[in-house]
Amino acid sequence: MDRGAVGMTHENGSWTREVQVVNPLGIHARPAGKICQTAGRFTSQIFLETEAGAVDAKSILDILTLAAPRGTRVCIRAHGPDAQEAVEAVAQLFVDRFGEE
Amino acid sequence: MARRVLYGIPVAAGIAVGRAHFLDRDWFARASYHPIAPDAVEKEQDRLRQAFAAAALDLERVLAAVPEDLRDHAAMVEAHLLLVRDRKLQEQALAAIAAQKINAEWALERAVAAVEATFTAIEDEYLRSRMQDIRQAAERVLGVLVGQAGAASMTQRGVLLARDLSPADLVEIDFAKVLALATASGGKTSHVGILARSLQIPAVVGVEGLDGTLAGELIILDGFHGRVLVDPDEDELARSTELAARFDDYQAVVLRSCHLPAQTRDGFQVQTLANIELFEEVVAVRDLGAEGIGLYRTEYTYMNRETPPSEEELAEQYLDLASIMAPQKVVIRTLDVGADKLTSALSHRREANPALGLRAIRYCLRHREVFRTQLRAILRASVVGNVHLLLPMVSGIEELVEVKKFYREVQRELAAEGVPFREDMPFGIMMELPSAVMTADVLAQEVDFFSIGTNDLIQYTLGIDRTNKDVSALYQPLHPAIVRSIKWVVDSGHRAGIDVCVCGELAADPFCVPVLLGMRVDAISLNPRSIPSIKRLIRQTTMEECDALLKQVMASQSVMRSNRLVREMIYRHVPDELLFSVSLLGEEVGG
Repeated sequence: MDRGAVGMTHENGSWTREVQVVNPLGIHARPAGKICQTAGRFTSQIFLETEAGAVDAKSILDILTLAAPRGTRVCIRAHGPDAQEAVEAVAQLFVDRFGEE
Repeated sequence: MARRVLYGIPVAAGIAVGRAHFLDRDWFARASYHPIAPDAVEKEQDRLRQAFAAAALDLERVLAAVPEDLRDHAAMVEAHLLLVRDRKLQEQALAAIAAQKINAEWALERAVAAVEATFTAIEDEYLRSRMQDIRQAAERVLGVLVGQAGAASMTQRGVLLARDLSPADLVEIDFAKVLALATASGGKTSHVGILARSLQIPAVVGVEGLDGTLAGELIILDGFHGRVLVDPDEDELARSTELAARFDDYQAVVLRSCHLPAQTRDGFQVQTLANIELFEEVVAVRDLGAEGIGLYRTEYTYMNRETPPSEEELAEQYLDLASIMAPQKVVIRTLDVGADKLTSALSHRREANPALGLRAIRYCLRHREVFRTQLRAILRASVVGNVHLLLPMVSGIEELVEVKKFYREVQRELAAEGVPFREDMPFGIMMELPSAVMTADVLAQEVDFFSIGTNDLIQYTLGIDRTNKDVSALYQPLHPAIVRSIKWVVDSGHRAGIDVCVCGELAADPFCVPVLLGMRVDAISLNPRSIPSIKRLIRQTTMEECDALLKQVMASQSVMRSNRLVREMIYRHVPDELLFSVSLLGEEVGG
């Protein structure tokens, strides 16, 4: 196992980072849109995993069905050429509360 | 049409009278659903693809029209655009055309229904209601299919009624013409409410029986009580006009007078402080007339990171806050979360019952380094302002003694290093566990102040998880057990000569504040938004009235009777609050 930037781990060709939903309303349409747009900029496959399962971070529909309220822990996982950057970029959205109060 | 009243959920205060304009977008209900011939599959699939493309183009146009200052709203429209562009919905619908030989409209409805089925299992009410976003996005596509796309328009001023309003609708509507609005769908948290509040337009959502037959009717929309009066009589019209004028006055007065002290008419003053979570809230604290910060929740800095914040990082925040607020006080509460709320660095194994687990002060006593770092940062800030230290979830005297021992140790370390701090920085505890309440007389000997956290106190005393909708109705702030608990803590504190503050939602509830005043609490700490109206309420009452009320409430054996007593008192002395405020006591209070 190999540690990269803050909280990132690298194993079997995939990068992961665990984050938490801290904005009060959870992942509703607006945050889901931001995740989907950010994920869409990378060629790697990117997944969001919770206890409920894993979804494609490039599909807003999928992200919405994840239904993650405040407090949910989400593991961001990516495989591919730009996986590390992709995980970092998506994680940053969570850290920034998706720009919400 | 005959006079009638429809009921819904009030989401934006105010009252307005006008002609109803019905915005008809219910294509799903009116589209034609029919099977198609096997050789028409490709043509039908093309029709659907083109409709998706056209709807996306249309939403791009709407997005470009969102004003600069509504960036949040633009993000909502953008989310709908992403939904229309999402491959999955389109692919499912295309597959349905081929597999079931049905027309594009029907296939789209099927695809949306399939997504809807996965949503019904979602527990979080707000997130479950986000299904609405998917349906609204699909409705744009359907609009193209049935040849009804295009902007929602209102040609003259009136009351806007709709089954539902999508973010795109909200951009296209000229709100200068909207006196009030009501929708058939939606709940407390819907974006219609958020927008209506920011535009100060009275609004009611989830109105039963709202449909197209109301178009053109004269309507009174009452955003206080969630009522839509259709074809009202002259009496009702006169009353609502008067109420509207009174509300305008009330709002103006409340804001204008928020910097006056919270003093009753007979001269009793209570300190009115703000609860904050982020440093940025200081602006609101200043603007809305708070006299200091009664509760600074420090958890946010600890979330979403691999390693806990450093002493420098925390000290910088606390120093900034203390110096900007000086000489007013800033009560800094130490970390009040459990392992479940922190990411990897501070967390460990999962707990079956986090609310009763290793959290708050218990967590800090187990993770001394985390606690030491925060205590040092708070002590360092004590020299630049009026800083108070507050410890959450203390359960009894042994725990308190242990905390104080450790606190002394940290103080000695700082002194040995030559770091300045105020040795007599006020040291207080949260009174939120029944065990602390019962031993308040003992604990009072050991601290400089009490802060009663009513949200947790109610939860732990009544054994109720408020977020569980099956029991949330049992959340009763004026339950005799709660009233007696608070009274006992206040009295125990005062007998020992220390100040008692009440923080939590109860302190922001106009119907509970007179009871707290009767108990002679020294301070209340509440969300900044509620401060202007609560200060005004305090200025309109007298301690004599509050004393009489408290006596009756203390003697009351039932919640229902207590609720009625406070309601009557408010009605007699500050009737505006009865009309214009929202209370924890339940729906019937405002009525």
